[in-house]
Amino acid sequence: MAFNLTRRKFLQTASLAAATIPLSKVVSAETGVAKASLEPKGTMGDTTVVGGLCEMCFWRCQLVGKVRDGQLMKLEGNPKSIDNGTAICARGNAGVKLLYDVDRLKYPLKNVGKRGEPKWKRISWKEALDECGSKLKAVVDQHGPQGICVFPHGASAKYPMHYFERTVGTHNVSEASFFQCRGIRDAAYVATIGKAPGEMVDMSNTKVIFLVGSHLGENIHVSHIKSYMKGLQGGAKLVVADPRYSASAAKSDIWVQIKPGTDTAYLLAIMNYLVQNNKYNKEFVTKHTSGFDKFSTAISEWTLDKAAKECDIPAAQIKEVAELLAANAPNVAIHPGRHVSWYGNDFQRERSLACLTALLGAYYVKGGWVPPKNPAKLGKTSWAPQEHGDEFNLNVINDKKVYPFKPPGTPTELIRDCAISGKPYAIKGCVVWGQNPMQTIPKQEKMKQVFNAMDFVMCVDVMPTDVTMWADILLPESSYLERHDEIKTGVGKVKATDKEPTQFIAPRMPLVAAMFERKDQVYITNEIAKRMGHEKEIPVQTLEELVDKTLASANITLASVKAEGGIHLQPGFSPYGVPEDFMVQLFNEDVAAAGFPGAPTYKAVEDVPAGYARLLYGRAPVHTFNRSQNNVWLNHEMPGNPVWLNDEVAAKLGLKDGDTVGFINSEGVKSRTTTTVKVTPGIRKDAVYMYHGYGSANPLMTAGVGKGVDDQSLITKIAIDPETGCHGMRNNFVKLTKDGKALDIPA
Amino acid sequence: MHLSHSSILLKYFYKLSYFFLYMTESTTSQDIASLYRFMAQCMQYPDPEWMNEDFFNVFYNLLGTFGAITEGKEIRDAVEKSSDFIEDLQIEYTRLFINGVPHVVAPPFASVYMDKSIQGSFALRTLNFYREKGFTMEDNADLPDHLVHELEFLSLLAKEEDFAGEEEFLSKLFRPWYKQFCPRVAEETRHPYYRMVVTLIDSFTKEEEEDGFQLNEA
Repeated sequence: MAFNLTRRKFLQTASLAAATIPLSKVVSAETGVAKASLEPKGTMGDTTVVGGLCEMCFWRCQLVGKVRDGQLMKLEGNPKSIDNGTAICARGNAGVKLLYDVDRLKYPLKNVGKRGEPKWKRISWKEALDECGSKLKAVVDQHGPQGICVFPHGASAKYPMHYFERTVGTHNVSEASFFQCRGIRDAAYVATIGKAPGEMVDMSNTKVIFLVGSHLGENIHVSHIKSYMKGLQGGAKLVVADPRYSASAAKSDIWVQIKPGTDTAYLLAIMNYLVQNNKYNKEFVTKHTSGFDKFSTAISEWTLDKAAKECDIPAAQIKEVAELLAANAPNVAIHPGRHVSWYGNDFQRERSLACLTALLGAYYVKGGWVPPKNPAKLGKTSWAPQEHGDEFNLNVINDKKVYPFKPPGTPTELIRDCAISGKPYAIKGCVVWGQNPMQTIPKQEKMKQVFNAMDFVMCVDVMPTDVTMWADILLPESSYLERHDEIKTGVGKVKATDKEPTQFIAPRMPLVAAMFERKDQVYITNEIAKRMGHEKEIPVQTLEELVDKTLASANITLASVKAEGGIHLQPGFSPYGVPEDFMVQLFNEDVAAAGFPGAPTYKAVEDVPAGYARLLYGRAPVHTFNRSQNNVWLNHEMPGNPVWLNDEVAAKLGLKDGDTVGFINSEGVKSRTTTTVKVTPGIRKDAVYMYHGYGSANPLMTAGVGKGVDDQSLITKIAIDPETGCHGMRNNFVKLTKDGKALDIPA
Repeated sequence: MHLSHSSILLKYFYKLSYFFLYMTESTTSQDIASLYRFMAQCMQYPDPEWMNEDFFNVFYNLLGTFGAITEGKEIRDAVEKSSDFIEDLQIEYTRLFINGVPHVVAPPFASVYMDKSIQGSFALRTLNFYREKGFTMEDNADLPDHLVHELEFLSLLAKEEDFAGEEEFLSKLFRPWYKQFCPRVAEETRHPYYRMVVTLIDSFTKEEEEDGFQLNEA
């Protein structure tokens, strides 16, 4: 370059004086740095800011932030917490790195390239909101409110979801937490005990912890894990059914290395054994259940031997488990699970767990399933509910529900099929809020077809993810550390020796101010609502107002809770004692009337084809699925997701621990990336396992992109749970590939 | 690095002359202030409000003064040939400095390079330096270690003829990251405007020993 300026040269250039005169005329008047009006204060000390509520996962541990000069230095558990206490997990700690992630979204962006291959341009909020408002309004004007579909996830998505569902009036809302996760559990328990079970098992006071597939320890929710550990320390026996030697299996007294997909048969055999041998709680069954006769007849075929054959486990082991449960009933914790959208036969498995709990009389007793007596329900301030009829409800055809026991929202596949085919109506606008449907919903190609069918796609998130590449307008949201929000309520004990529990109410408060131009959900939703002609229906002006209005029903305010250290405490009540009207439907007539088995029923899933292994996935202890894959601390701890492979299978394939492999599934889909092999006797020969949430395709995630393998990209065969319409994602089969060659998995 | 006596003397001489110029030619320090402010302006997000014909005329004129006529012409061509040069520059700014594909090229924050994070401890050190000099951040400002604000701050120091402060800031808080930032932009950018702007800033903020004027040790 001919150009060779230095400061020295500049100083020597006499002619510059003339040239620089107009410089000042073309610069703006304001600067970001200005003369301080006061004497400089010098370095300030750290302050502890209270009121944090974690959202690295969705357990919402209570936090405090150590803040220096507006900068968050460290996160800790709130010392006032009677839930997680001062403890937070690795992910919670790493929230600092999410807050300050270089790749985070900072300004509204407009895609001036193609969907999926974006070319981004920063635009003003006004332009972004005008575009979102006018495009969404155009969709509603042309196609009706049902022309909009919404994929929300997380605390911040609730307010906009209510806006689109209630005010705009579309049924087409699909939450991943329901349709790809725990919705089946909630629906099955509602159909059995009348309420969603949460994970409300009293593990700290139990004699037996009974897990089916749950891998506590790898799946970490702090207060839940504390309760689990307390139970184990107190001598509780642990029974774990899992094809893999999980963190829980490693602590178990009985590890049931079950064949994937057969869990319901295992549960039916245990229940049948209890019934046949009069080892069930007759008093509870008489007083609190209905349909026992139909139920016991329906499950009577499930002898120990039959189940042993189906589940590929010893009959003696099933008997041992049943005896252990019977001997310790009713103080046994039958865990309902959390992520349960496995095989497309999951409603019946979850019903089985609920019925097993009843046979053991393990509801509302020490060590059983015990819903804590939480603070009275807080008022619900949001967009006012409105009736929109079922004309455009995809789940209702000729007054009949397609999936009668679905969780709230519309089953994902109904929305996708409608969007792609245009039948029975057009869906032309898509709002993605905090969800990453590219990595949460199986069959990515189908998701791409949905986006390509849209007139307009908007995404709101804190980070760029695989789905944000498909947005026309991408809006940056303030993170959970930068905004008010969500109120966590619950119970705990202030002192371990306390006889009665204490209730707590913990609203989320910002620990630091939002940086750049990030905005919260109330601002964004309201501004879009104004542009869509719904200004008059706006329920609150700010997020702070929303939280304060909600707290008012408990006679507290944000200010008062802040003064209390970020958490409000009030006296609680013992949770034990079965309510008089509590009923368990062992046989559910409504389920039967809808054409499904009224008693828990096992339906076999497709067997593994020769040469393949079943692809299983689960949670990593330091990641929250794909949400945390770009977090540099967490990425450092677990950068990849090695595939678990049975040691005998590995020997036959000539694979060694640490070898690099790729995948091809039974439908011919190859993994985009590779991972390493973890050779272990701790997994069945007919399955492989990997942690979910790796191998992002979005290069905007500089830490996470291409690291490990995206299990979701290999989940292309879709199973649908017939009662709920939720996905089953463990019916996909893979071969490993090495140096481009597919390796047949030996039988 | 071992420097020969002659090179130390030369360096001393340059510093003295710099010192002398500042002390005696207050108009020069005002010129320097203007130049810093102008460079800060160049690094703002492109907007027709300020990125107009006047702006480019001043810019080309400045480049001409420094003998960068070819480079000025290259930018002029790119601007004149485009149907929407503002949007071109907006897309390029977004890709280089905000969020881009394959990934953001060079976030314009010191702590990204020094702490591998937005708002790391380097940003705090920068803010504390501003404070020690009696300055503060406005409410609507970006982070203190944003390139634009660092240049604005240097401009304010120059205006106050605090050349020692300017030099200390440059060597301790500006150059350590800027010399990593600048080549990333210069090599990766697809628009001659940004290549020129970061080079202009680079040249103007370089330490004397960095700029190739040092004598051979032999």
